[in-house]
Amino acid sequence: MADQRIATSKVAGTWAWFFQRLSAVLLVILLAAHIIAAHYWHVGEEISVDTVNERLKNVAFIAIDYSMLAMVLLHGLNGTRTVLFDFDMFIKRRKAVDMGLWILGIATMIWGIIILWPFISG
Amino acid sequence: MKIRDFKWLFGRNSEFWPTNMKTGMWAWVGHRLTGIILVVYVFMHLSFLTQASLSHEKFDSLMQVTAQPAFVFMDFMLVCAVIYHAMNGFRVVLFDMGVGIRKQKLVFWIMMAIAAVLVAVGFWLLFDAGLFNGEWF
Repeated sequence: MADQRIATSKVAGTWAWFFQRLSAVLLVILLAAHIIAAHYWHVGEEISVDTVNERLKNVAFIAIDYSMLAMVLLHGLNGTRTVLFDFDMFIKRRKAVDMGLWILGIATMIWGIIILWPFISG
Repeated sequence: MKIRDFKWLFGRNSEFWPTNMKTGMWAWVGHRLTGIILVVYVFMHLSFLTQASLSHEKFDSLMQVTAQPAFVFMDFMLVCAVIYHAMNGFRVVLFDMGVGIRKQKLVFWIMMAIAAVLVAVGFWLLFDAGLFNGEWF
């Protein structure tokens, strides 16, 4: 069984499959970090623009938020790709679907980076 | 595209008709549904944060909204979806590694038991202040 899997690893879809598992494990860790950082780091502190600005002076918060978003987009849009490819009409247009999802993912990543920017620079 | 093209999906003889589905199929359908919900949520989350980043006043008024009971209930639904997706995803990873396939139903229910405990913890964290410590009543 294991040998057969290694033999198929040159197919592009196998990388998508493997990455989906890898990003899943990373997301569980990052999600825990994201929740703790956002809600339990300074319990009782009033949440305002000023306190968020203060927190985002810490590079760890920025790293958690941005890597979380990158992983979420890769995992979520790769999952969307899997769902779409269960329909004939999309698997016939595999390249267009892949390209569309990459563009959506990169655009959303840029959007996410821009959202935090006023807080980081403020 | 005609309605009968979707008989495989909605028909009484399709694999997805509720009485035709077994444990593994329910798990798969649940994984799909929660997955799609979570992708949609990410975009809602970014839209929300975009509005919150516009001005101090907008930020403060949106933070008020997040403390509303209805909003916290939506948070709880989100927590349930994430926990189900994560625990079932863990089951999928186990099967990919060849662990527990022959006991797949048992593995599903073990995962759901862990999920139930995590959901209970999530419920307590989200609702403790509002329901039991007088924040809402």
